[in-house]
Amino acid sequence: MLFNSIEYLIFLPVVFIVYWLLKDRYKQQNILLLISSYVFYGWWDYRFLSLIIFSSFLDYFVGQKIEEALSKKKKKRWLLVSLCSNLGLLAVFKYYNFFADSFSSAMSSVGWQVNDLTLNIILPVGISFYTFQTLSYSIDIYRNEIKASRDIVGFFTFVSLFPQLVAGPIERASNLMPQIESNRKLNVTLIKTGVFQIFIGLFRKVAIADNLGVYVDSVYGNYDIHNSSTLLIATVFYAFQIYFDFSGYSDIAIGSAKLFGFNFNRNFNFPYFSRTLTEFWRRWHMSLSFWLRDYLYISLGGNRKGIVITYRNLLLTMLIGGLWHGSSWNFVIWGGIHGLFLSIEKYTFSALKIKTFNAFGYIYTFIVVLVAWVFFRATDFHTAATIIKEIFSFNYGTLFVGNINTFINGLLLLTIGFAIDLKIFRSKTPLEDYGIKFSTVKLSILISIIILMLCLFYSTAENFIYFQF
Amino acid sequence: MNTEITKKLLKIVVLTIVISYGLDKLMFYGLNKISDNVMTGQAIGKLNQFLTVKDSTDFLVFGNSRANHHIDVDLFSKNSYNIGVDGVGIAYNSTLINTLKANTKQFIIVHIDTKNFFDTHYDGSDIRGLKTKYNRNEVITSALNKSNKLSDLQQIYYSMNYNGNVIGILKNYFKPSYNFKTYNGYDPLNVSLSQEKMRDAILAKANIEEECSKVTELNSVAMDYLKSIKSYIEKTPNKSFLFITSPMYNDRCLEDNQRLTDVMNDFELNYIDYTNLFKGKADHSLWKDPTHLSKKGAETFSLELLKHYKSFHN
Repeated sequence: MLFNSIEYLIFLPVVFIVYWLLKDRYKQQNILLLISSYVFYGWWDYRFLSLIIFSSFLDYFVGQKIEEALSKKKKKRWLLVSLCSNLGLLAVFKYYNFFADSFSSAMSSVGWQVNDLTLNIILPVGISFYTFQTLSYSIDIYRNEIKASRDIVGFFTFVSLFPQLVAGPIERASNLMPQIESNRKLNVTLIKTGVFQIFIGLFRKVAIADNLGVYVDSVYGNYDIHNSSTLLIATVFYAFQIYFDFSGYSDIAIGSAKLFGFNFNRNFNFPYFSRTLTEFWRRWHMSLSFWLRDYLYISLGGNRKGIVITYRNLLLTMLIGGLWHGSSWNFVIWGGIHGLFLSIEKYTFSALKIKTFNAFGYIYTFIVVLVAWVFFRATDFHTAATIIKEIFSFNYGTLFVGNINTFINGLLLLTIGFAIDLKIFRSKTPLEDYGIKFSTVKLSILISIIILMLCLFYSTAENFIYFQF
Repeated sequence: MNTEITKKLLKIVVLTIVISYGLDKLMFYGLNKISDNVMTGQAIGKLNQFLTVKDSTDFLVFGNSRANHHIDVDLFSKNSYNIGVDGVGIAYNSTLINTLKANTKQFIIVHIDTKNFFDTHYDGSDIRGLKTKYNRNEVITSALNKSNKLSDLQQIYYSMNYNGNVIGILKNYFKPSYNFKTYNGYDPLNVSLSQEKMRDAILAKANIEEECSKVTELNSVAMDYLKSIKSYIEKTPNKSFLFITSPMYNDRCLEDNQRLTDVMNDFELNYIDYTNLFKGKADHSLWKDPTHLSKKGAETFSLELLKHYKSFHN
C-alpha cells in the first residue's frame, strides 16, 4: 500500500480509531498493529510476508540465544547465525543476479564463456530496510546494549510496524522496543506535529518530487541527444526529486507513527544546507548513515587503528552503503565517490586543523553530491559517464524544456519547497516539532492550503524511489 | 485518548474539511471565471476556442500532436479548425466529436495512430485532458463519468479538474500566446539550426533495425471509442468523415498498419494510411523527429492530403 494512495487515506484513520479504542491495552494494540502492518505489506504482495515472518522468527529466537549464551564465543556463534541468515536472504533476493551477471562478464572478459546464471527473482519491497533493522537488534544484544525481547507479538510488531516497514526510517530496537512494550499516550503535540508532518510529506512527494520527476525522466530517457545545460538542469532536478521523494516518505512515516503514539528518529535534516560532505551524511538518510557508522564503520575499527585503516574503513563503509541501495555497479561508484570525498575532507580537516568549510562549502558539497547523483540515476555506467562528460563539456546550448507546463510547475514547486525548507531550517525548530507552533485553527488553514496545492499540482508516479531498495 | 484530545482532533478534522472545501470551491469558481476567458494555449485555450467555433466551421481536424503539426487546415477551407492536441488519443477525440451538432454540414478528418490501437497499455486516460469541462459540458461530463478516469476525490475537490493547468491558464490569461482570432489550430514545427543536430541524432537512432513486435490483439478501449465515432457517423449524414494516419519516419513494422486498415475497412470507414508516404526519402529536413514532420514536411503532406480530400469531396 502506498502512502499517497486512496487506500492509505482510508486505512490510516480506520486503524487509528480502532487502535485508540483499545487505549491502555498496549498488547492488544500491538496485535492490531501487527495485523494492520501485514495487511499494509500484503497489499503489495502477500507472498513475501513469509520472508518478514521468517526474519522476525529468526531474530526473536537468536536474540534470546545470544543473551542466554554464557561465553563470548557462543554469543558470537549465534550472532553469526543471525548475520548469515539475514544477509543470506538479502544476497539471494537482492544481489544474486548482480553477482551472477558480474561473474559471467568477468569470465567472458578473460575468454571463458559461462552459461547465463541469472534467475528470475522478484525483489521483495523493503527487504533492505527490515533486514538492517533486525540485524541491528541482534548486534545490540550481542553488544549488551539492549535486552532480548520476550514478547513475540511486540517483537514482530517492531520488525513490521507499517509506517517504517518498506522504506524506513531504520528504527533501532533501543528506541522502538521500549515504546512497543509499554503503554502509548496520544497528546496534542503528537497530533499537531504528526498531522503537519504527514501533509508536508505528501506535498513534498506528490507535488514537488513527482512533478520534477516528469522532466528528469524525459531527459534521462534520451540523455544522448541533450546538451550540457539540459543534462545539468535535469540532474539538479533529480537531486531535489530524490530528496523530496524520500524525505516526503519519511515525513509521512514519522507523522503516521506519531498518531499511534510512537516517536521515530529523524531521517532528514535539510541535507542540502551542508557545508561539507561529512555534514551532508549527518543530515541525509540519517537512520542509514548512523546505522552504517555504528554497525559497519565502527565494527571495522573506525578511526582507532591508524590513519590508513581509517580511510580504508571510510571508503569500504560507503562502498557497501552504495551497494545497499541497489545491485548495480553504479550504486557502488556512487558510494565510492562519497567515500573518496569523505576521506579527502577528513585529511583536509586534519591537515588544516579546521572543523568545516566556509560558505563556499555549500557549493562544493552540492557539486559533489550532484555528480554522484548522476551515477545513482543513470541506468548503467556508460550512461552516467556520457552524461558527466557532456555536462563538463560546457556545451551550454538551448535548454530543452519539453512540456512547458510541466517544467514551469516543477520549477515553481521546487521554489516553494526550497522556501519552506529554508524557513524551517532558519527557525532552528526541526520539522518534526514544527506543527506545535500553530494553533488548531492555523494548523487547519495550513493543511487546507496544502490540500488545495495538492489538488492543483499533484502528479502521479508509480512508486517512491526508495521502494526499489 | 481522553475527551480533550478527541475534541481537539475532531476540531482539526472538521475545520480542515470545512476550510479546504471552501477554499477548493473558491479556487474552482475563480479558475472557471478566468479560464473561460482564455483562448490561447494548448491545455485550455485551444479547447475553449474549439468549443466556441466547432459548429460554425465547415472543416475540422481531430487528433494528437501529429494532427496538430501536420495538417494545414487553411489549404482545405478558410473556415476550418485543427483541434489536434499534444498527447491525446482516440478517447479524447471521440468525446469531442460527439459534442458536434448533428445537423451542421462539415468535413471532418480524424487523425488516428496505429500504435493507439495495438498498445496493450492504452486505457483511454487521455480523456482526462477534458477534465476542466467536467460538470460544465454535458457530453464531456457524461463521457468522463462513463470512462471512470476521474478520481473519486474529484467529486469533492473540484479544483482537481484544473490539476497541472493553473500556471498555463494564468499565463495565457494575462499574456495570451498568440492572436486567437487569426489562429486555426495548425502549429507547424520550425526546426532551428541548433535543433537540426538533435533531430539528426534522433533520426539516426530511429534508423536502427528493430524487430517488429507481434501484432496480436486490438486494444478494446480504443475500439470502443472507434465504435462510438462510427455510431455518431451513422447518425450524422450531413457530415463527411475521413480517417488518416500521417507519415512516420522509417516505420519498419507494416503488419499493424495492414491490420488497422482491415479494421477500418470492416467498419466501412474511409481511411488512408500515409505512414510510409516519405519512406525512402533521405531528406531529413522533412522531419522534426521520427513522429513529427517539420513545417516543410507538413506542407508537403498537407498538399498530398488535399489531393485525396478533393477526390472525396467531389
